[in-house]
Amino acid sequence: MIRAIDVCKDYRTEGRRVHRVLSNVSFTVARGEKMAVLGRNGAGKSTLMRLLGRVELPTSGSIDQTMSLSWPLGLQGGFQGSLTGNDNLRFIARIYNKPFDYIRAYVDDFAELGKYLSEPVKTYSMGMRARFAFALSLAVDFDCYLIDEIIAAGDQRFQRRSHEELFEKRGDRSMILASHVGEIVRAYCSRALVLHRGRGKVFADLDLALDIYNSL
Amino acid sequence: MSEAGEGATFWRGLAVQKRVVGALTIREIYTRFGRENLGFAWIVAEPLVFAVPVLFMWQAIRGSHEHGISVMPFLWSGYLPILLFRHLGGRILLFIRGNAGLLYHRRVSILDIFLARAVLEVGGNVTALIASFALFYAIGAVDVPQDLPMFYVGYFFMIWWCVAAALIIGGLSERSDWVAQIWMPYSYMYLVFSGFFYLADWLPPALRNVALYQPYTQAYEMIRGGVFGSVIKTYGDPAYTAFTLAVLTLIGLWLMREGRKYVVIE
Repeated sequence: MIRAIDVCKDYRTEGRRVHRVLSNVSFTVARGEKMAVLGRNGAGKSTLMRLLGRVELPTSGSIDQTMSLSWPLGLQGGFQGSLTGNDNLRFIARIYNKPFDYIRAYVDDFAELGKYLSEPVKTYSMGMRARFAFALSLAVDFDCYLIDEIIAAGDQRFQRRSHEELFEKRGDRSMILASHVGEIVRAYCSRALVLHRGRGKVFADLDLALDIYNSL
Repeated sequence: MSEAGEGATFWRGLAVQKRVVGALTIREIYTRFGRENLGFAWIVAEPLVFAVPVLFMWQAIRGSHEHGISVMPFLWSGYLPILLFRHLGGRILLFIRGNAGLLYHRRVSILDIFLARAVLEVGGNVTALIASFALFYAIGAVDVPQDLPMFYVGYFFMIWWCVAAALIIGGLSERSDWVAQIWMPYSYMYLVFSGFFYLADWLPPALRNVALYQPYTQAYEMIRGGVFGSVIKTYGDPAYTAFTLAVLTLIGLWLMREGRKYVVIE
């Protein structure tokens, strides 16, 4: 389970002013639950993902978890662009204590990057990065995946395989998915957290949540 | 609160940290020196390339003896610590910002990244110390230190000082851009006041007392006492030095932890 209680996040802006990006956001995600995070650009979706991944720390409030969480899988972060795909795999296999051969074989099969694995990650396209990050996090095997937009960056085949992995093979895994794309949210999630002007509210009714999001 | 059950206890936490620091060290070698190049050999060669020509030049300018002691061992034992201070300090400026991407992996902490860097710099420096000693010893420019334990203690304190200073510099540089600006002139002035060029004994008593407040001057006194033995008079005080460095280390660790709050990650 993940429980966020009254999470606030401030950033300093010019002239020592403080910009409150998230204000008293609370929610819980149980094991196996898949929750969407909806909000317009700048509503704080990525910030929330980074706080959940402990990349950044909340200004106040707390986030407790009893599940292992992936790093926020987004279009940036998590990799060293100047190193090759293989070197990044080696590094991550080492820190999560997984056998490199297994990780490499899994990523190779799922992400279908072929010889690109021996090229620097900075040369990857958006779609390739998405496949690489997602495949790697599946290989490390977390209880909960924090997914920031990347499913939408992949092609149809990738989306189908992601769906297969997350629902058929690992139905007990949780997911928090930030996305703008209604179809993806409907296909993956059962609840939604709508963020607007720093406030957050959880809806059990996806249609209602998407209607509200579309009217923001 | 654990990650796949790990880090639950102190010892398991330590095992994770050891693995993470190891992985970071290897990664640092790859990113800094590339995979096909000399790799780790370059870490040792780097300080040597700096030190050897400079030391020979100084000896040529200043003659072989000064204040009744040989110049080469004096400069050799003085310059390697300078290199460590400069390289560690220079590499640590804004290092939290520069490595923010690594913080995406929650097992990687700022302290782990710092340790990886310190391990690499200190390891390179000590290897360069040994290699340069072997070189100078072979040509008869330096002798085996008279009081080896004293030399080791002094060099240990010097490494500790450089690490503590790097913690402070790294933490402060995230708060204010001034720190990076001041670093360059400071690291040059450090040459003058650190104790590289003098023994406390050569200073007038009033100035000597001030100089000996500095933990690095203390470390230099011990290093020189080790190199020259009882031929010279030195003022190193291990208890004072250890206490001062412990306090500086705690301040540094605190600044480093606080520094993270000032970093906005892409």
